[in-house]
Amino acid sequence: MKKLAIGLIFAIPIALFGAVAYLILFSPSASPAALDHSYRQAAYAITWAIQLGYLAWLGMKWWLQKHGDHARKVNQ
Amino acid sequence: MKQLAIGLYLLVTGFLLGFALCQAVYVAPNDAMQGEIFRIIYYHVPSASVAFVFFFLNLVGSVWYLVPREKPPVKFWRAILFCLPVEICIGVLMVIGAFLVAGAAKRVMLNSLTGVGLIWLVLYAGYRLVSWGPARQKEAADALAVASAEVGVVFCTVVLTTGPIWGRRAWGIWWTWDARLTTTLVLWLIYMSYLLLRRFAAGPQMQTLAAVLGIFGALDVPIVYMSNRWWRTQHPAPVFGGAQGSGMDPSMVGALLWNMLAWFSWGVLILALRYHVERQHQKIAAAKVERALAV
Repeated sequence: MKKLAIGLIFAIPIALFGAVAYLILFSPSASPAALDHSYRQAAYAITWAIQLGYLAWLGMKWWLQKHGDHARKVNQ
Repeated sequence: MKQLAIGLYLLVTGFLLGFALCQAVYVAPNDAMQGEIFRIIYYHVPSASVAFVFFFLNLVGSVWYLVPREKPPVKFWRAILFCLPVEICIGVLMVIGAFLVAGAAKRVMLNSLTGVGLIWLVLYAGYRLVSWGPARQKEAADALAVASAEVGVVFCTVVLTTGPIWGRRAWGIWWTWDARLTTTLVLWLIYMSYLLLRRFAAGPQMQTLAAVLGIFGALDVPIVYMSNRWWRTQHPAPVFGGAQGSGMDPSMVGALLWNMLAWFSWGVLILALRYHVERQHQKIAAAKVERALAV
């Protein structure tokens, strides 16, 4: 269960980065409005990817500190 | 009680982020010239503002770390006296800001409430900092400095990625060596080097060196802010406080302010988590040293 949760936490930012790459590199260039829409979505997705990716990394660091060997010894 | 407060803050932040996203995507109108691509501003400008505030916090932490302290912990009333001028300044600024920026009574109330919240936050943080002993103050100041620099770099990275995405559509290029863009990149590089110094340098002087670098790094913040006022740049004119003809349509200001509030709220959340992690790291390091000395 924990592994699944950790996997999900990291999967969301990675999926968002993938979405950004798709939106910018493979977006259909049918009309300027459609391109604007894709680029706007890409900008929002990359913002969330960076923020959630950092939060996931921070959460991981915090969890390791809380449950790591050093923390156990300090608390003792 | 503490857990309830954290849970409540998480709820408010989540709601604010969702509401601000709706404002940016559905409520604010398209720009007459740029169309939908203009909406990137609702994430780009708040991220830049949060990055600037956190780099300023890094400056505060760095200066606080370097200031020599020999005195014993001060009493509560002295701590209050120490905080009072800061509180009054923030309160006055918030009230002035509320009357200048917000048009509707709702927004004035919101800004005033935020101001009151900030005043109490400063009062409490100031009291905690000043009433601690010198060694603890130094540790807290160092933790604040590293946490704010790291979170500031995250927000600055958002600015440096959303900007080129907008530039690609608006200008047809990802990047140009314009004064605003270049100074922002330099700012990001300075704080990246700050974080790398903290990560890889060892020895008792590392925190002092990092604090000095943090102080010099903060000098770039006003240069970035003023760059498109001082020099002719390709970057658009300032949203707030620019010359005649700059700024936004009032129908768009609401969405920008909501996004600013939401991203500030998110920034404070991750700053608090990063600060907590750093304090825990300091405790583990101190325990390691104690064990090594005992052996």
